[in-house]
Amino acid sequence: MKKTYKFLLLLGLSISIISCSDEFDTRTGQLNTNDLDYTDASEMSQALVGAYNVFSKIGWEEPILLGVRGDDVNAGGLGDQQPYSDTDRYIYSQSYWMYNSLWNAHYSDIIDLNTAIIQLERYREYTEGEDDERAQQYIAEVKVLRAWLHLNIARTWGDAFIYQTNNPFEEVEANGVSSKEEIMQFIVNQMDEAIPFLPNLRPNERTDFPGAVTRYTAYALKAIANLEMENYQGVADASGEIISSGKFSLYPDFYQLFKTPGELSDESLLEMQYDELGADVGGTFYYQYDPFGPQNWSPARENASSGWGFYEPSMKYIKFMLDRNETTRLETSVLFTDRGIQELNEEGYTDLPDFVNNTTQSGDVINDFERALFSSGKHYLPSVQVPEDQNVYGAGKNFIVIRYAEVLLMYAEALTRGAAGNAGSAADAVNQVRSRAGLSNLGTVTSKDVMDEKFAELAMEWGIRYYDMIRLNNYSELSYDGRTFSADLEYLPYPQEQLAALPLSND
Amino acid sequence: MKTNLLAMLFLFTGLSLFAQEKTVTGTVTSADDGLPLPGANVSVQNTTKGTTTDFDGNYEIEIEAGETLVFSYVGFEAQEIVVNEQETINISLNADTESLSEVVVVGYGEQKREDLTGSIATIEAEEIQKTPNSNVMQSVQGKVSGVQIVSAGAPGASPTVRIRGLGSYDADSSKVLYVVDGAFYNNIDFLDAKDIKSINVLKDASSAAIYGVRAANGVVIIETKGGRRNQKTTIEYDGYTGVQVAQNVLKMANTEQFATMAYESGSEPDAQFILNAMQRYGRSRINPNVPAVNTDWYDEILREGIITSHGINVSGGGENSSYSVGANYFNQEGILDMKNEYERLNLRSKLDINITDRVKAGSSFIFSNATQYAPENAAWFKAYHAVPVMPVIDEQNTEASPIRYSNAQMLGYRGTQNPFTDTQYNKDQNKVRKVLANMYVETEIVKDILTFRTSYSHDYSTIEVHNVNLPYELGNNAEGFSEITREQNNYSNQYWDNTLTYENSFGDHNLTVMAGHSYRDEAENTFKATGRDIKGIRLETSQYLDFADPASFSNRVNENAKRIYGLSFFGRVAYNYDSKYLLYGTLRYDGSSKFTKDQWGVFPSVGTGWVISKENFLKDSNAINFLKLRASYGKLGNDNVDASSGSNTINNVFSIFGGQPYNGYTSSTVYTDNEWEVVEEFNFGLDTEYLNNRLSLNADYFIRDTNKAILPITIPIINEVLRQNAGTIRNQGLELSTNWSDNIGKDFRYAIGGNFTTIKNEVTEIINEQGYINSGSAEFRQRSVVGEPVQSFYGLEVVGVYQNEAQVNADPFVENNPEAQLQPGDLIFKDQNNDGVINEEDRVFLGSFLPKFTYGGNLNLNYKNWDFSLSVYGQGGNKILNRKRGEIIFTQDTNMDADLAINRWHGEGTSNSYPSSAGLRKSWNQQLSDFWIEDGDFFRIQNLQVGYTINSPKLPEIRLNFTAERPLTFFKYNGFTPEITDGVDRQTYPLPSSYSVGLNVKI
Repeated sequence: MKKTYKFLLLLGLSISIISCSDEFDTRTGQLNTNDLDYTDASEMSQALVGAYNVFSKIGWEEPILLGVRGDDVNAGGLGDQQPYSDTDRYIYSQSYWMYNSLWNAHYSDIIDLNTAIIQLERYREYTEGEDDERAQQYIAEVKVLRAWLHLNIARTWGDAFIYQTNNPFEEVEANGVSSKEEIMQFIVNQMDEAIPFLPNLRPNERTDFPGAVTRYTAYALKAIANLEMENYQGVADASGEIISSGKFSLYPDFYQLFKTPGELSDESLLEMQYDELGADVGGTFYYQYDPFGPQNWSPARENASSGWGFYEPSMKYIKFMLDRNETTRLETSVLFTDRGIQELNEEGYTDLPDFVNNTTQSGDVINDFERALFSSGKHYLPSVQVPEDQNVYGAGKNFIVIRYAEVLLMYAEALTRGAAGNAGSAADAVNQVRSRAGLSNLGTVTSKDVMDEKFAELAMEWGIRYYDMIRLNNYSELSYDGRTFSADLEYLPYPQEQLAALPLSND
Repeated sequence: MKTNLLAMLFLFTGLSLFAQEKTVTGTVTSADDGLPLPGANVSVQNTTKGTTTDFDGNYEIEIEAGETLVFSYVGFEAQEIVVNEQETINISLNADTESLSEVVVVGYGEQKREDLTGSIATIEAEEIQKTPNSNVMQSVQGKVSGVQIVSAGAPGASPTVRIRGLGSYDADSSKVLYVVDGAFYNNIDFLDAKDIKSINVLKDASSAAIYGVRAANGVVIIETKGGRRNQKTTIEYDGYTGVQVAQNVLKMANTEQFATMAYESGSEPDAQFILNAMQRYGRSRINPNVPAVNTDWYDEILREGIITSHGINVSGGGENSSYSVGANYFNQEGILDMKNEYERLNLRSKLDINITDRVKAGSSFIFSNATQYAPENAAWFKAYHAVPVMPVIDEQNTEASPIRYSNAQMLGYRGTQNPFTDTQYNKDQNKVRKVLANMYVETEIVKDILTFRTSYSHDYSTIEVHNVNLPYELGNNAEGFSEITREQNNYSNQYWDNTLTYENSFGDHNLTVMAGHSYRDEAENTFKATGRDIKGIRLETSQYLDFADPASFSNRVNENAKRIYGLSFFGRVAYNYDSKYLLYGTLRYDGSSKFTKDQWGVFPSVGTGWVISKENFLKDSNAINFLKLRASYGKLGNDNVDASSGSNTINNVFSIFGGQPYNGYTSSTVYTDNEWEVVEEFNFGLDTEYLNNRLSLNADYFIRDTNKAILPITIPIINEVLRQNAGTIRNQGLELSTNWSDNIGKDFRYAIGGNFTTIKNEVTEIINEQGYINSGSAEFRQRSVVGEPVQSFYGLEVVGVYQNEAQVNADPFVENNPEAQLQPGDLIFKDQNNDGVINEEDRVFLGSFLPKFTYGGNLNLNYKNWDFSLSVYGQGGNKILNRKRGEIIFTQDTNMDADLAINRWHGEGTSNSYPSSAGLRKSWNQQLSDFWIEDGDFFRIQNLQVGYTINSPKLPEIRLNFTAERPLTFFKYNGFTPEITDGVDRQTYPLPSSYSVGLNVKI
């Protein structure tokens, strides 16, 4: 009798030990990085897709904060997000959440991209031949995306950090803070490294991942970084490569370039891509354009939401365009309200062209709203183009990051500043841009002509205007509408949160 | 080895004496009311003979002359009678408020209270049932020292329970372990108070250590009701019905105050919005400068809720078996005016059978079926911010359908603001079904000495989530889509415990040795799908995914699973010499599959006690009846973290190329291998009773360290949160409790008690280069650093408000903080390091959300058939981040509470603590400072009950009662309730008061 109990007890114990200790190392419902099959090169592209997800997934505040300080755009009135309006007027607050958010979003993306490179390197341990070339190409693509993030950081804060691993602490320890110059040089070097591995295609020619990075994206970034360093020969060389490839052309319809028909056009060098599937068919991947949109409208398509009015084309810009008799570019860049038009009338612009109207050519009526007089047209998706069953302002619209017009104008500027170019004259480049805008050709161009052309062509896009002005120390342009700009205001203060964690100082 | 042990054990048992026996009979009654005590124990001292009384309190026992009979009954003082010539012995037992001979459940066994070396508190069923509430633990608030309960107001919601402070960082990992009839739970919301026989709280590590890896945050052992042998069938009905009302409703700024704030803000759009409201809704006749609308949004979304409970329990027992079966129904409506309620039906049975003289078996089953309609808590947040210049219904908003709710965008505001779209167009149903099944077999291998027990429990639960969003339009193109989310969560947890217990006495030496083994297997599975465009969604019958657009499922179907295993071996030795010198020790060897590193751990504990009152010099003292000193030490693990938390995993994502989605993944950037947290605790205790046991005083002092605490570390550059073993958290405190009970004359009895607990929570070590750990968001920073409580609020200190230009200009900040553009009406911050500039270096610790002390008290009066009880509860020293207010940093054009509007600075001398309306919008003033942090001290009348018992031989026993739950709370905090689990008040469900009448009938 007693033996039976003892036997049962021992049996029970041993069964449960056996049944359990095997299970101690299983992780139900979880896929560990180590469990991926790195020998299967067909899965390699998934890490790249992940990298593009990181690149395209941005917060609503990122592009508006990057762009708001130029003389092309204002933050709208007071009311909501006052420190953001202050930023527009060059009053900076290091404790403002948006600064920290922009910093965090960029650096965490950089680290995530570094992790993607590490993943790809793990596949590379097993790849051969074509697969290995593909692995190297993917790594080069991620390097381009990463360079763009570093560019934004350096443009916004000047001196900052370069991270190439997923252990940034060691990098901070080893390299400390890099100057803006060093970061730009890093971008140039990275692009030189990447270019040989990248496909010799226009992004929209890629069949594997349409619209993904190509060799010319890398050249464009290299040109931008050189421009920031005022290395104009470098700009001319890099942008010349793109022009002389003959692969790119300007999308004929400037208005539609920024709408659905213009997505992945032959003009596009880098574009954040979102889906047009509509929320009803599982589409959930979009940038929230609300801050760019007017706060009140009567959409042509029922129930398309309006925006927040946080991104207002400046009166200075509109007057500049009217003075130049611009048509399509002004119509595309600005959404007018009656109140805004009234204001223009009061400023003496009484004889306005027909398109200066509160109804867009796509039929949306922009109503008056308190915060701002105008809204950005380049970030506007006509309500009829918003995916079905999707109401979010601009949902599904791609976000163009670098386009050929900018490349042409960078090339032209470099040449007017003394660089030698082998892709045509500065005037040729500028005239291509002008002719699409319906303007007459110029015979020769000066640097000022190019800068005016850039203002007209690239306003509201990614702060290009602002970064041009601080590069050229052209503070008088930035001192407009009651603002006073000076050298010490070029960069945002480091976010308070980062001061505590990193070897940085705002003094 | 085992054979030898068994053989040795048998050696001790062979002897037996032979003597003349006779039969003694009698009745056991209660001294209080003279009523018979059924089921009382009658045993012969130092033998194994014993019996229990029948339903009428009668007993019969064989005994030898010269032996001693011991009469005992739970809740009464035991009596000993030496039997000589008597053949009939009638005994009346005195009620014992702090019954020392009472048996306490200690985990895999029982101990007499007087022999305990650790700190274990017991709460009787009667106390729990006084509180009309869905959750048993809510009733424990204020009753036990060292246990903090943070109330939850929503129907069916569980309160937060913290035993002896916060040892772990995350709310999830600091959960208490509940052991219900042998099965382990993190949450006991499925239990009805009426199912419960007793609650034992194992507070110190030494007591809890027998549960090893699950027990780091304390253990609550719950026994459900069972029957007693030789007891006639008892049928008991218990029920109540009451009404709940919101209390301490936060006063919001009215239209006039709001308009004043808008005009004073200096923001033109905001002034324009007020004008827009006047144009739309007309001007007030009283004040023509404000609109003729004045909506009190809290008032609009609140309602009264009914709370009802009915329970019936049948119990009894025969010669060889006992049983208890019951059914309980509970229904509670929420005070948020929407489909917000909780309904639960519990069925329960418990059976114990003596198969043979030595073999016992039993089972218990609980089936709980609950339906909860969860509140849309966002409504509380929106109601705080919604502007008062807008009505609930706006007939002019003709585009809104199906109901013409107002939309603040019509006035120019950024958001729609109206909380009614949340409450009226959403239905969040959770069906929670739970089966707890337990069976055990217990065999006395050697009669009364060596017992083997095997017990298997299975807890099977499902939570079906069915969220329905009804489509609506709100004008200005604001539209809500029809959407249904279905979620099926299955939990299947099984536990198998085996114990072998040896219990024997050698003269005055009493020894209990237990060895055991425990296996656990916990599996969960979640399946979730969301669909849109539901056909016929307004009909409940078609609120299923079959009626959704099939295309809408893509990317909205998720499934995940988790399964973890645990294996433990444990043992316990409890020894005492004449219940005077006490020794206690446990050892547990625990394995858990949750960790990727060091899956096994050893957790020992020891305890010792000295009952001084049993020493000769105190033995006969009338003043001091009982005096015991205790000390214990224990170590336990905490695996209450997500399985392989912090390890390197893959996330599936997709990207778009050329309009088409492509699948891909990202992998964790930072990861670590975690091992478990280890709690170490020293406990020193004192138990005393005085003046014929009428006065008792208990004290415990503890120091509890959570070593290798798994803390969420925000990696500053990567900005990811990683959980890793990163520090040590210490909780130390003093727990005092005292009770006095007595009677005046025969008819009037009274008892008064109180408890007081201090808790000092402190981080004692941070293993991290920075030396601190940030939490909260960057704007609402909380920081953990050595010497401060975990997650202390961290910000600037306000010393006043600038009253005039001269004062502004006199400060160095006007120059050194040019971005602030300082004006009169802005806050003056303390320059902690005196460097003439206000920056991050001037931040200081502004307090913790954990109370420094809590206290409770109770008063019970009985006069003839009347009884009255009152309990109070309070806490102090904790801080609350008023984030409702603080969110002004994200949106500035919304409403605020009246306190903020009335007390604003609006001219010299008007306020030295509140900024001006314009100032509220500036980031200078919005920086986290003690302006946004408020005191959370409160005092509350917790429960008040008056009862009347009808005792008539013709009728069954009937008791009627009236209960007021939380009728009054006193606090200064600007919110509905100062009870905020994590101290950050954003959208807390208000705590209602309730008033109910109850009926209890026993047949």
